[in-house]
Amino acid sequence: MDMKKTTRIVLLGILSVGLLILPIIDKNGYRQLLFDQVFINMIVVMGLNFISGLTGQMNLGTAGIIGCGAYASTLLCMKLNLPVAVGFLAAILMGFIIGQCLGYPSLRVSGVYLSLTTIGFSEITRLVLTNWIGFTGGSAGVPNIPRLQLFGITFDSAFKNYYLYLVLAVLLAIFASRVVYSKWGRAFKAIRDNIEAVSACGIDIAKLKILAFTLAAMYGCFAGALYANMVGYINPTTFNLDLSINYLVMLMLGGIGSVAGNIIGAVTVTLLPEFLRFMQNYYWLVFSIIALLFAVFLPNGIVSLFTGKDKKAPWGVLGKFWIPKREKEGKTEP
Amino acid sequence: MIGSVLQLLISGIAMGCIYGLVGIEYTLVWNSTGLINFAHDKLIMLGAYVFAGTFIVKMGVNPIIGVLATLIVMFLFGSAVAIGIFNPLRNKPTIFAVMGTVLLGRVISEAVRLIWGPTPFTLPTFLHGIVHIGNIVVATANIWIIVVSAVLVIGLTIFFRTTRTGKAMRCVQHNKTAAALMGIDVTRNIIFTIGLSAMVCTLIGIMVIPLFTIDGTIGSMIGLKGFASGLVGGFGYLPGTVVGGIIIGIVENMSTIIIPATYKDVVAFILMVSFLLIEPSGLLGHGKNQSR
Repeated sequence: MDMKKTTRIVLLGILSVGLLILPIIDKNGYRQLLFDQVFINMIVVMGLNFISGLTGQMNLGTAGIIGCGAYASTLLCMKLNLPVAVGFLAAILMGFIIGQCLGYPSLRVSGVYLSLTTIGFSEITRLVLTNWIGFTGGSAGVPNIPRLQLFGITFDSAFKNYYLYLVLAVLLAIFASRVVYSKWGRAFKAIRDNIEAVSACGIDIAKLKILAFTLAAMYGCFAGALYANMVGYINPTTFNLDLSINYLVMLMLGGIGSVAGNIIGAVTVTLLPEFLRFMQNYYWLVFSIIALLFAVFLPNGIVSLFTGKDKKAPWGVLGKFWIPKREKEGKTEP
Repeated sequence: MIGSVLQLLISGIAMGCIYGLVGIEYTLVWNSTGLINFAHDKLIMLGAYVFAGTFIVKMGVNPIIGVLATLIVMFLFGSAVAIGIFNPLRNKPTIFAVMGTVLLGRVISEAVRLIWGPTPFTLPTFLHGIVHIGNIVVATANIWIIVVSAVLVIGLTIFFRTTRTGKAMRCVQHNKTAAALMGIDVTRNIIFTIGLSAMVCTLIGIMVIPLFTIDGTIGSMIGLKGFASGLVGGFGYLPGTVVGGIIIGIVENMSTIIIPATYKDVVAFILMVSFLLIEPSGLLGHGKNQSR
């Protein structure tokens, strides 16, 4: 046991040192931008995990949420000349409002109906952002977004953003994993598994569903603000249904319901297409086929390889170091 | 004024028929498997490409033979999809099958881009022309759409009410366990249903060729509004989806009189979300599917 603990600490140490010196070793600007994108995607997927992973409500409106966050922070700062940090807070507030509003329909409709409502929300958002030219700039987008200034540092390069986003992603991951094992997280899972039993226990389902939605929307909107800060230019065509699907793919591929799975999924889905680029024209097709095969043959995600469910798999050994014990004991089948 | 309103009405009905057909096509899938085929807009696109790209442009066959050949190809494709995705995943939680179909859609759109190239194209002579009725001008394509949709709806109704296969399909829709106990092969039934829905997708794809250019997004808006038609009319109920589709088509075309035409697409979604919040079972729905 002690041995295992030491190994885990050593591995975590290697990982964190690796993460810290990664942008110093790799000075390629494009790859640094890609790493920033990985952190943003992690934050979004961890948010999506609350609602789609734990509570089991299909949310296909992630793109709309991110778009609202990005536009809320950007437009507030640019129109009123406020510091960008205020814009970030506004994005979080926006997430709170969206979560409360989107959570309400989830009380009346569920399952496929809910995914259609969220698609509707996302499409309405995108169409309004595209067509309200006077306020949002229309399909030409918003260029020259002011960058975040904090503690006297202007976060205007992928290199500086890397460390900021790393810290934020780690903090939000710790928070998310605390939520997963908290009273809320257990209640979320219970709603997914047996909603009648939850209400029989005297738990207010309505409140919890709205809470899950609010957490998801706040993570999503915050990530949207981070995205606007990273690229410096936003455009409504980015926030389409394809983007929402991409986040669901990350959630699925990594493993539904666990924060470790979310992180694995975000890293894999963001970086794998880049590794496949040598196939040129075919790389996106190959990537889609790989993802489809995962969805059919490994529906519980990459994380299910490590959780010891599949005992014969050689990589099951890895799980002994990585997955917290309570996760191993818990049922992974949603 | 009245002329232009009538014209908007007719093109609204034609678009509405398309939405209604999309509604029918995924209601078939929903009823037989309890899942939604999120790849259906890509199937519509694939149908249009197979017909226009391969049979008309490359082989230069007669359009009627082309339509029949495309229907057969797409039926086989749909059956393969059922064997590969729907049957293995239908007993798992919904999210897995939804992801399966969504990713299938991606594979299809990438394959289409590689096979037929990324450049949009049109068929200039296919269902081309206009007809004058009094002082209203109607596109031939719109008349074809309305006629084909009506024939298809009547044909499907007869098929479901009278034939053995159709009755078996309705049986599976109601209760899979009971159907299996009565000796109906549920798995084979689902394969046939998905094949049938792929054929309806193909017909939609072929009929909208004169209205849009053939490109990767030909089915996206139709596909999304098809969901809306199901929700407005009554989810899981075939006549309801047709009525819902026609209502959406008319309302969104009429709305251009009052609001700027750029917001036309928003109307359908607002209608859909408000129906979901106020009357989730739709205008003609039974409400029994609501909790699922």
